[in-house]
Amino acid sequence: MSLHKLRLAAAVPVTISTFSSRLFLKPFPNTLTLGLFSRRLQPRKPLLVRAFSASAAVQDIPATQTSESSARPQWKASIDFKWIRDNKEAVEINIKNRNSNANLDAVLELYENMLNLQKEVERLREERNNVAKKMKGKLESSERERLVEEGKNLKESLVTLEEDLVKLKDELQHVAQSIPNMTHPDVPVGGEDSSAIRKEVGCPREFNFPIKDHLQLGKDLDLIDFDSAAEVSGSKFFYLKNEAVLLEMALLNWTLSQVMKKGYTPLTTPEIVRSSIVEKCGFQPRGDNTQVYSIDGTDQCLIGTAEIPLGGIHMDSILLESALPLKYIAFSHCFRTEAGAAGAATKGLYRVHQFSKAEMFVICRPEDSEFFHHELIQIEEDLFTSLGLHFKTLDMATADLGAPAYRKFDIEAWMPGFGRFGEISSASNCTDYQSRRLGIRYRPSEPLQTGPKKGKANLPATKFVHTLNATACAVPRMMVCLLENYQQEDGSVVIPEPLRPFMGGIELIKPKLK
Amino acid sequence: MKGKLEPSERERLVEEGKSLKESLVSMEEDLVKLKDELQHVAQSIPNMTHPDVPVGGEDSSAIRKEVGCPREFHFQIKDHLQLGKDLDLIDFDSAAEVSGSKFFYLKNEAVLLEMALLNWTLSQVMKKGYTPLTTPEIVRSSIVEKCGFQPRGDNTQVYSIDGTDQCLIGTAEIPLGGIHMDSILLESALPLKYIAFSHCFRTEAGAAGAATKGLYRVHQFSKAEMFVICRPEDSEFFHHELIQIEEDLFTSLGLHFKTLDMATADLGAPAYRKFDIEAWMPGFGRFGEISSASNCTDYQSRRLGIRYRPSEPLQTGPKKGKANLPATKFVHTLNATACAVPRMMVCLLENNQQEDGSVVIPEPLRPFMGGIELIKPKLK
Repeated sequence: MSLHKLRLAAAVPVTISTFSSRLFLKPFPNTLTLGLFSRRLQPRKPLLVRAFSASAAVQDIPATQTSESSARPQWKASIDFKWIRDNKEAVEINIKNRNSNANLDAVLELYENMLNLQKEVERLREERNNVAKKMKGKLESSERERLVEEGKNLKESLVTLEEDLVKLKDELQHVAQSIPNMTHPDVPVGGEDSSAIRKEVGCPREFNFPIKDHLQLGKDLDLIDFDSAAEVSGSKFFYLKNEAVLLEMALLNWTLSQVMKKGYTPLTTPEIVRSSIVEKCGFQPRGDNTQVYSIDGTDQCLIGTAEIPLGGIHMDSILLESALPLKYIAFSHCFRTEAGAAGAATKGLYRVHQFSKAEMFVICRPEDSEFFHHELIQIEEDLFTSLGLHFKTLDMATADLGAPAYRKFDIEAWMPGFGRFGEISSASNCTDYQSRRLGIRYRPSEPLQTGPKKGKANLPATKFVHTLNATACAVPRMMVCLLENYQQEDGSVVIPEPLRPFMGGIELIKPKLK
Repeated sequence: MKGKLEPSERERLVEEGKSLKESLVSMEEDLVKLKDELQHVAQSIPNMTHPDVPVGGEDSSAIRKEVGCPREFHFQIKDHLQLGKDLDLIDFDSAAEVSGSKFFYLKNEAVLLEMALLNWTLSQVMKKGYTPLTTPEIVRSSIVEKCGFQPRGDNTQVYSIDGTDQCLIGTAEIPLGGIHMDSILLESALPLKYIAFSHCFRTEAGAAGAATKGLYRVHQFSKAEMFVICRPEDSEFFHHELIQIEEDLFTSLGLHFKTLDMATADLGAPAYRKFDIEAWMPGFGRFGEISSASNCTDYQSRRLGIRYRPSEPLQTGPKKGKANLPATKFVHTLNATACAVPRMMVCLLENNQQEDGSVVIPEPLRPFMGGIELIKPKLK
């Protein structure tokens, strides 16, 4: 890019808004019909990106495009642009495999432009310093005048270029934030059908009588009320009654005690958070078909999962290596709009706007995340095996990974009332995707100090942590499984043994006399 | 105009009919507007008041009962915020970054304590014949209004959801009142007695000053709420049953508290009579409200449309027709706090602290916490 052209652009800002068709995003297929936790798929609305032709260095942002600028995150992710540039083939393949709408070409071009502009800014700064230095000496008045003039011009150009640089950096951030995480090499490439089965436990129970689905059981045993909730709140809301309340509490209590034994710290979290935190975790609070409820008149949202306030606990922090790993199990209510989810996969408790969930969250060193991903999936498999569920653990294929996940294991359990498997949990290794956005770093412990002085120069450089999250218990889905699998011919439901002590010893939910 | 008429007579009648029709249309419109205006203005008329309720402001409230006495400490005590920090139980700082002020995370034993409080409360109240429920926490704003709250307007306590007519509940009383709205219940179904758990969300707009420290005033909290729907003649009885349940619960936990009969200026519009319980909070050096039990008589039921049909005595005639059914009446509704977790936590932490910095768990809660007897300072 010629310097002359840059100066021209700086002096006369040019508005260019060309939209080449390749930059419009094709709506990608809706793969959400069963996915409870795959809401982190790329935004469904087309992302408009202005084309940067080779001759224009910088584009002036028109004042009228306020809707887009207000939709921009007001924070910066620490994206490693150099790494992206040096590995662009791998990044491009990854973007394609994930059906992502990220625009790598735009990122690379903007990055290149940004670097060049930065060099130019530095060059002008140096020139201005030189002029200032010269003006300190003894000079002819005409020479002084000339230098003053030159200094003024340089200053004006610098101001303009620096403004352009800021805008360019913002634009670069905005476009680059959509680049999804890289992918674990063992992850199958493809769509839903390509996911690999890692493990299968149990087998479908054989029933010798016509079975009921959980909605019917909920009605007959006076456990679930959807009708009143539809009047009071709307569809996909419900009241739990009688033993179902005890069952929810037993599930949460038992899950907590089991997971605490593995060294996880119990927490409860806020369920209202600032929308910037939601974005930093990789979710999209604004825009059509968002899963996120926003609070009127504030920048706050309701959480869809405790992962969000958990990620926020240590944001903008530097942790000691000795503090890692941090392992949490958090309870919260979760709220989801479920916009865009339609069809048969919304019946009853399977898809609701509000539910209780116990979520595990791990912050660790990069070299340990693979280990903890396996620890988390093992905990989930042990929990569901103890409850006697029939399930399969899937290694989700590339098109089904949310943007933050390097690798994702989903567990689908057999739901006889539906006659198919349904997702009951999800365990993701997000590596440094979230930590780069949330600003969570750690300082590696030092080996033996060689010099006597401990100064900042001797401290090892901080690194980004890795974060992982996994569902320990999503109550409504668990309730679907337990009610449908444990029903008996007389209409009662057996309580799995591990839960009984947490329910005052109740072994059976019996039909009530009317 | 149905009969046989002279054409001039007919014309005159047609003209008269037309004028009447026009006048009617106008007046019917005016009537609708007048009825609307009447509703709007009349809805602010508060419930009547029980004759025994003291007249006046805060200071006129009468003490009905006092249980226990303030514990004497022989060492420097901490408030719940300090205990929460020292024992790694409560984190306000991270929550301020993530969510804003008046939000918090509970950690470690505090999580177990919250669950023990809710589990124990549930089991105690179920023994008195209350049906356990969990409720939606997002409701249509019209339900909030029918219960006597004000979702819109400055200083509202209610969070609204962007782009919808929905709000977050400030108490489970709201979705509980909504369950039977626009219904006619059988007298034999009454009383309906519920104990519901929910998270509650309050903006706390307009609340300022010292009474906002720590867990005392927060935007989100867990609460167990009792709700009763009964015949009018039974509401006084159930008001006393509810306050008795509350007093028994707090006595079992070893709290020092007083039950107040709230004076007229301190009743909310829906309450015919309101008993508040204030417990001693040594860290604050004063009493703080931990529960409230209101008899709303028919204020909420007239708005929510909850009626019942009295059972009939022996039928005299052979035919059972609609004309023979007794007229429906409005039920009475009552609500009472069984456990507001953050306020309970303030009481338990501050009252049960020991000199070495640990906190004793009240006996009734221990079985619900895996037997833990003590929250001990953690080694760092």
